[in-house]
Amino acid sequence: MRIRRLTVDYGTALLILCSLGFILPRLLPGDPFLAIYGEEALLNMTPETKAAIISSLSLDKPLGEQFAAYWLALLRGDLGWSYFFQAPVLSVIGAFLPWSLLLSGSALVLSTLAGFIAGVESGARRGSRFDNFSFTGLMALGGIPDFFIGALLLLAFAVHWPLFPLGGAVTAYGGKSGWALGADVLRHLALPLASLFAVRLASVYLLTRATVVGLLGSPFIRTARAKGCSAAAIRYRHIGRAALLPIATTAGLHLAHLFAGVLMVEILFGYPGMGALFGKALSARDYPLLQGILLVGTLTVLATNFLVDSLYPILDARVRKTCTSATKQQ
Amino acid sequence: MHIRYKATITNGAGRRGFFVLCFWGAAALAAPWLAPHAPDAYVGKAFSSPSLQHWFGTNDVGQDILSQLLFSARTSLIVALSAAGLANAAGLVIGGGCALLGDRADRTAARLIDIWLVIPPILGAMLAAAYLRPSPVLLAVILAAFFWTNSARLVRAQTLALKESDKIAAVRAIGAGPVYVFRRHILPEVWPVLWATIIHDARRAVFMEAGLAFLGICDPTAPSWGRMIQQALAFTYLDAWRWWLVPAGLAVSTVVVAFSLVGYALETVQNPRLAAHPEVSDAADR
Repeated sequence: MRIRRLTVDYGTALLILCSLGFILPRLLPGDPFLAIYGEEALLNMTPETKAAIISSLSLDKPLGEQFAAYWLALLRGDLGWSYFFQAPVLSVIGAFLPWSLLLSGSALVLSTLAGFIAGVESGARRGSRFDNFSFTGLMALGGIPDFFIGALLLLAFAVHWPLFPLGGAVTAYGGKSGWALGADVLRHLALPLASLFAVRLASVYLLTRATVVGLLGSPFIRTARAKGCSAAAIRYRHIGRAALLPIATTAGLHLAHLFAGVLMVEILFGYPGMGALFGKALSARDYPLLQGILLVGTLTVLATNFLVDSLYPILDARVRKTCTSATKQQ
Repeated sequence: MHIRYKATITNGAGRRGFFVLCFWGAAALAAPWLAPHAPDAYVGKAFSSPSLQHWFGTNDVGQDILSQLLFSARTSLIVALSAAGLANAAGLVIGGGCALLGDRADRTAARLIDIWLVIPPILGAMLAAAYLRPSPVLLAVILAAFFWTNSARLVRAQTLALKESDKIAAVRAIGAGPVYVFRRHILPEVWPVLWATIIHDARRAVFMEAGLAFLGICDPTAPSWGRMIQQALAFTYLDAWRWWLVPAGLAVSTVVVAFSLVGYALETVQNPRLAAHPEVSDAADR
């Protein structure tokens, strides 16, 4: 019942977002061809390519058929043709995706872990100096936009003290292999990773702390103390265990912010992932590529959220219980 | 729900946030009188360092950075206030309206809200903004189109709960219409909850405006902190970033942090369990 409801919700959301890609260029004044591909593209195009694109998008047909053609192309996995790279959008994205996955994946794992531990420690000692200090500090840190933290790190540790490279993911023509290559990749990863980590750390910390504080007075914690459990056991095996689920789910639900953060940080550091590609597409006004990147991002985020949402009752017995009783009542 | 608004301001964090917001609000309002130059006028040598004439120096084409900072506060706060205002007005009307009408209208609207909630606002707004290259006001409309669901859900839940109460039944029995009931009896109860989402939406809008401008998705005629950071980054090999990039970044950060502080203070006043009172802390604190 719940799954079916969720599928309809997510399916409709996906339809709306994909249709935006159809509606937006046609909302702009003038020729939709111009809006979809941009003026610069038009100048660089041979008449044959133009004719091929027009017939593939059915731009010479009525609006209904154009819509059908748009959806058929999407279903085939055809996101359009990137005139800037002279290649299909999907294959361009595929070439840039791995670096983004490396960056965002490690940022997600590291910040969730560190934020969780800091949140449990701080929440369990609510009101202590450690708690006040980390709460104020991280709250301020969380308000700083990722691109500004990144810019400061870049200026401090790459420009002022050149400890880390200015940009890129590996030293070009470095001719390194094995461990040296690995170290090189890590050195390039350090600053972008640090900026994403810093911003996400705060949000995980604040959520964990709030959850922990909410749990502090519960009877099962009192029982644990009465049994004589050690402070560490109470923090991690009781409070931490109970707080884990909301944190795991919001880690999934905050993926959209991570994706946007990755775009900005990658542009900043010239990291060759989706963000750098997005920056290129923006400055070249390569609209099909731009739309492709955002669609792939949205699809990833929606798929993850759907998974998290539908796994939630399996992970948390309490939700499962309320769900079944709610269905019975209906 | 009754909240003591004064408590939000006397709360240390809330007070600091409130003062920072007042500072930027005043700067934005008085920008034409405070700013020594027009933000887009070429008034000096390129890259001059801070001096009495140009407190924050000049940028790569000789525009006064202080004036740009002040006028950017306008853009940022206009987007924040109108996006938050629009989103919450829409939330109030849709959420309250469908809860009062009930039945089929309510079910349809609730479903629509559920579906809309699934869309990540940050990505939806980016997609729309990338095509439309919006002016500040249009950007506020786009952001509001993705933000309204939060307040709609809250207002609907509150209204549904209140609708069943005895006092509303009594007022309805005297013959009050739904609009009157909503305005006189439901709105005052819903306000406090709405304040929190207004602040939250404003914070997100400031961040989105700066972020989109940083990506280059903005109206080139509207000065923006995000765009200042983007432009300054091209000249990292000079010293100009110290009085160009850093003040702009600090401006965005202080506004965003100030909104979160005020929001947090509001939440604490509404839900005192979250406050950091040492005497309440009872477990695992050894």
